[in-house]
Amino acid sequence: MAVKIRLRRMGQKKAPFYRIIVADSRSPRDGKFIDEIGTYDPNCDPSAIKVDEEAAKKWLANGAQPTETVSKIFKVAGIEK
Amino acid sequence: MRPEEIMAVKKKTLTPVLFFGMIAQVIDVNKILEQALLFDFYGELLTEHQKEIYGQFIQEDLSLGEIAKEAGISRQGVHDLVRRCSQTLAGYEEKLHLVSRFMTVKEKVQRINELLEGYQEQDTSGVMLEIRRISDEIIEEL
Repeated sequence: MAVKIRLRRMGQKKAPFYRIIVADSRSPRDGKFIDEIGTYDPNCDPSAIKVDEEAAKKWLANGAQPTETVSKIFKVAGIEK
Repeated sequence: MRPEEIMAVKKKTLTPVLFFGMIAQVIDVNKILEQALLFDFYGELLTEHQKEIYGQFIQEDLSLGEIAKEAGISRQGVHDLVRRCSQTLAGYEEKLHLVSRFMTVKEKVQRINELLEGYQEQDTSGVMLEIRRISDEIIEEL
């Protein structure tokens, strides 16, 4: 099963807040997700990134594909494959 | 395990990561905030179709290919639309400056709240509480 790691926006208007989720790539819009591995809050300065590093590495090792944005966030958070 | 226990475990395993000296990357990541705010402020000015497609791109972090497949249009079409939308939104900001004004006011109100923090406990008159209430309202109405 093709699995992707992507951001999902939560939070109110004008106060964006994101969850980093693991979801099936075949039905990207059904709202379901397999796992939530962190959050990203760009409202703070510097932006607050919280990632369950172990879970992130596990998913990456199992072939989950992070989106471009998530890759950038992982890079900032110091998570490599 | 009960749900609240699971949450507690989850919270513990989340390690906060602060970063210094990675300015280039931080700026890059901050683009997400900028795009999101532009969409919140001016998104209603896009056409329904643009709003739908561009929304999927920035709110749900879908790839061009995924959006194309869902909408039944070409990947190139989605790419053009996304680029045009971000240009349009940036153009509105250039003329109206709503986002930059929002950011400055928000920063100032947050500073007020920080200053209040130290006084709120000693204050018995309720004035500090009232100020806090008003500053929360300002943020909400922005």
